[in-house]
Amino acid sequence: MGRNTIRIGPLVLAGVIALGLPLAVRSATYLHILVLLYLYAYLTTSWNLVGGFAGVLPLGHSAFVGIGAYTSTVLSLQYGISPWIGMMIGGILAAIVGVIIGLPTFKMRGAYFALATIAFAEGIRVMVENIDNLGPIRLNGPRGLQIPPLNTGLLNFMFATKEPYYYIILFMLAGVLFLTYAISRSKLGHYLVAGGEEPEAAMALGVNVARAKLIAMAMSSFLTAFAGTFWAQFTLYIHPKSVMSLDISFEIAFIALIGGRGSIAGPVLGALLLRPVTDLSRIYFGGKLPGLHLIIFGVVLVLVMIYQPRGLQEPLTRAYRSVTKKLFGHTEAA
Amino acid sequence: MQFILEDIINGILMGSIYGLAALGLTVIFGVLKVINFAHGSLLMVGMYVAYWAVILTGLHPYLALVIVVPVMFLFGYFLQDIVIKPIFKAEKAVREPITVIIVTTGVWYILDNLSLLVFGPQYRNLQDNPLRGKMLEVGGMLLSVPRLWGFFAALLTAFAIYLFFQKTRTGRAIRATSIDREAASLQGINQYKVYNLAVGIGTAAAGIAGVSLVPFYNIFPSVGVLFDIKCFIIVVLGGLGSIAGALLGGMIIGVIEYVGTQFMAATWTEAIVYGLFLVFLFLKPSGLFGVKYEW
Repeated sequence: MGRNTIRIGPLVLAGVIALGLPLAVRSATYLHILVLLYLYAYLTTSWNLVGGFAGVLPLGHSAFVGIGAYTSTVLSLQYGISPWIGMMIGGILAAIVGVIIGLPTFKMRGAYFALATIAFAEGIRVMVENIDNLGPIRLNGPRGLQIPPLNTGLLNFMFATKEPYYYIILFMLAGVLFLTYAISRSKLGHYLVAGGEEPEAAMALGVNVARAKLIAMAMSSFLTAFAGTFWAQFTLYIHPKSVMSLDISFEIAFIALIGGRGSIAGPVLGALLLRPVTDLSRIYFGGKLPGLHLIIFGVVLVLVMIYQPRGLQEPLTRAYRSVTKKLFGHTEAA
Repeated sequence: MQFILEDIINGILMGSIYGLAALGLTVIFGVLKVINFAHGSLLMVGMYVAYWAVILTGLHPYLALVIVVPVMFLFGYFLQDIVIKPIFKAEKAVREPITVIIVTTGVWYILDNLSLLVFGPQYRNLQDNPLRGKMLEVGGMLLSVPRLWGFFAALLTAFAIYLFFQKTRTGRAIRATSIDREAASLQGINQYKVYNLAVGIGTAAAGIAGVSLVPFYNIFPSVGVLFDIKCFIIVVLGGLGSIAGALLGGMIIGVIEYVGTQFMAATWTEAIVYGLFLVFLFLKPSGLFGVKYEW
């Protein structure tokens, strides 16, 4: 067994399992839970480009989810444009907004940056809630927009069953993971990590830290907006509280931090661990013990931050390495 | 014009209660250099403690202070000692530990949802307390009596904290730590104890804000969220770490909210407040009274 077999093997296995899962899981409820799991893994991986690699704490990514959801929905409802094209336009819009937010805020550090991103996202949400018609565009204020489920089909990004959504979000997740992997290996990735950890030192070495962060922000918001479009097409109803609420931003950050920000596996691991907690506690305890999953989130977050500040991926990776070492007698290079 | 004046005065009164709520946040930041995301939740806890103190003992709502202040002080003291201190110890070298912000967010989620679990989602209020809906007529203007008391409570609390920091030995130790952690430690000040005290004082201040709100405000598990972001905005406006700044920042927000509603929907005033906040963040991140802090 070569070194690459050990590294690629589990990935192929995970891919095969993910592709075959809908054949085993026939219940729409569980498929729905899986779709949400992938969606959050996707969102968190996109967030990770800024929040992980660039070492800042953005807490306003719900704004980009909202921009993606509203752009594609408005375009398809009012102008009959396919949500796939709307997805692209929403992504570009979100990237522009991301750069506008990033330009002044990346000069700030830590808490100020977190507060500024919250204020931006909340400001955008409050505005959408207050606007019924923006020129010719109908936003419908706090009541939101409903997408009538009339023309199902791939072109309309609308399906009667859950399986197509499952595969779409699976491929989106695989794509964003590959992209993150490529970036982490690229010059940009090294610039980001260097700028996040030691900005002065990085700048002294001639790294344009601000530019690297802005590029990361543009990519992150572009990709996050895609998830917004997916969400809109998946639930067929969007309103400011559902696609732009601060809770989304915080949940993304929680998943990343518990899984391990700045690593590729962290966001997926975090989503794998936390999403089932959310959905299962809602199903089984929702009536009797409201908010239980959020208490669990909070407790896990506090414990992880105290004992494993780099997230759970670190001890798990170590454990995995020692197991493969025992089994195959190889040490895997980092 | 009379109604504008009335709105301005009522805005200042309510705004000073916002300022009182934000006071603890600014004290905690001033010393620990950490934005406490759980601050709204601490306010919520303070409101519940005040509510139950009044319901169970039949005290006058303001006499609940005797119970609320010590309970909240101890709550904050041990919250810092048990939950936040380990991270400071692990991350000694970091100037402004981002991990602590995250932990306070976790505390926020735990407290809010724990109170949802224990007390249920229903809105509670002190139905027949002597202050509810009481108005004072001054020159044709109606001023809310509980808000007026809140205004005085805010001024008194701010003054008391100021005096404590300036005049007492412990207060001086707290200030020394806030200026330079290492230098203070070298002088024999136990910085972790100072942090405990600072969080305790900040939490007790949130408790006083809770007592001021309880006679006329609804109490529910997520009430803190309403104040959370408002408090962040207030302390950035006033200058993180500045006591007078917190009061003034609160009053500015209060006046915008009260006067603004004469001209537009209440929800739009929220957007204006966010806009103002961002302008301050970009142009003058040290706020009105803040010391220049190298970020």
